[in-house]
Amino acid sequence: DSHTQYERVGADVTMKCGSMDWDAAVTWTANGTDIDESHLNGSYLILKNVDLSQSGQYSCYEGSSWHLKYQTYLRVGTPPKEPVLMCRSNNYPKGFYCSWHLPTPTYIPNTFNISVIHGTKDMVCEKDAIPKNRCHIRYLQLFSTVKYKVTLTVTNALGKNFTTLTFDEFAIVKPDPPESVVAKPVPNNPRRLEVSWQNPSSWPDPESFPLKFFLRYRPLILDQWQHVELSDGTSHTITDAYAGKEYIIQVAAKDNDIGTWSDWSVAVHATPWTEEPKHLTTEAQITETTSTSTSSFMAPPTTKICDKGAVVGSGAMAVCWTAGLVVAAYSVLFI
Amino acid sequence: GDSWGIFTFLCAALCNLPALPALNCSEELGAGQSIQQTYDLTRYLEHQLRTLAGTYLNYLGPPFNEPDFNPPRLARAERVPSATVDLDLWRGLTDNARLAANYRAYSRLLCYLRVLDGQVGTAELRHRLAHFCASLQGLVLSIGGVMSSLGYPLPAGPAGPPAPPGAHAAPNDFLKKMDDFWLLKELQTWLWRSAKDFNRLKKKVPPAVVTLRLEARGF
Repeated sequence: DSHTQYERVGADVTMKCGSMDWDAAVTWTANGTDIDESHLNGSYLILKNVDLSQSGQYSCYEGSSWHLKYQTYLRVGTPPKEPVLMCRSNNYPKGFYCSWHLPTPTYIPNTFNISVIHGTKDMVCEKDAIPKNRCHIRYLQLFSTVKYKVTLTVTNALGKNFTTLTFDEFAIVKPDPPESVVAKPVPNNPRRLEVSWQNPSSWPDPESFPLKFFLRYRPLILDQWQHVELSDGTSHTITDAYAGKEYIIQVAAKDNDIGTWSDWSVAVHATPWTEEPKHLTTEAQITETTSTSTSSFMAPPTTKICDKGAVVGSGAMAVCWTAGLVVAAYSVLFI
Repeated sequence: GDSWGIFTFLCAALCNLPALPALNCSEELGAGQSIQQTYDLTRYLEHQLRTLAGTYLNYLGPPFNEPDFNPPRLARAERVPSATVDLDLWRGLTDNARLAANYRAYSRLLCYLRVLDGQVGTAELRHRLAHFCASLQGLVLSIGGVMSSLGYPLPAGPAGPPAPPGAHAAPNDFLKKMDDFWLLKELQTWLWRSAKDFNRLKKKVPPAVVTLRLEARGF
């Protein structure tokens, strides 16, 4: 006679040796190891305040004959806590998905049951194979005034729990982050970076449901981000990058009119074009970094080419057109 | 009983005002520009409605101002035009049908809102409602302008004869408030839907034609 028995952590468990009398001589084993007689009350096995480590196979043998009289698999666990449920539409207007998990493990098997009610209608949320704790629903109607009510019930041998989410169709729209974000320097432009990206592939209809984008960028050495919101197009040129500094760039997407912003895309790094070979630039950067990162960082002036700030990173071969012209002018005069 | 009769009369009077003929400027600006303007108007109105609805629902009191309030849709609420539509049907709408649906919906919603305006208690609410109605009227005219510039006929006034007095009167205060709640909800949903409707229309009517006309007019 063998079965599985579920008990709560901290409970007191009494196991009877099948149909044997209380005063019968028996031996209990846990996972094959004999159990000390101190745990026995007659032929009953008493486990007080059970913990997870006491899960296992318990067997009861008749004293002299060593016949197996009873066997049970003890699984110690907890009843489920209130599950965490999230629903999101990353493929509007096709539908939405819900995913869930338990905040703490129960250590025993759980079954999840999800129900979706739209007004008076029951809808079927089709379970996904992967990932497991997820199901999806197709919208039958768009622009609904009636809320969706999703109830997730989790049950195991020790108890059950549930949680409910109620939302409007529009409230859960959140696209996936933009894909294939690429940032490139622009030749001969030391303060520009060209960023391009693509609509998330999960967004089914960008023509009728256009996305808008939010770009953020900063040089690695600073903490503060700069932001640009773009109402259309999947590219943008940054024109105020600090010369020679490595930048970190991310993009997020949102339906033009409804819902919330996506998570930030994978970050890309890029450094604006500089004229110098790399090793000279690095030296100049190090000197510049140590001297200016401690002081208030001012934008290098954009008008005077020969100014120290803009020349940083150009090294010895300073592109100093004004000075060059002046020299050229004097040379001409003296010829 | 009597209040419904007044309501019906008001509705008939307000709604059968001759729809202003498409303003001449809209034809000059071209459909593309008008569509963009109409789109912008729906966004503006949606923003305005958020404040108005908040104030109004607080005026109605609980449970109407609770965020989780999710009542079943009673049959009587069907008279307010619904934005809800089958997905494939919505996709397949012709430009004319799409615009006409918007035009009819806002005309009727405007009608109901104007009646509300007359009944509401506080001065602040009356002021907000009046402002909103004026903007909504602007939207109706804007949609009419787009339709005219594309050569579509404007839909006729509210469909069907006015209901007999007492037919739809809310039997009690609570049901009257429910009606108001659904009116605001449908309005909100329509504004969200219109943004999508006008997005689709924007793609269909190229703005290139508009730019030429604007330059010709010396803008």
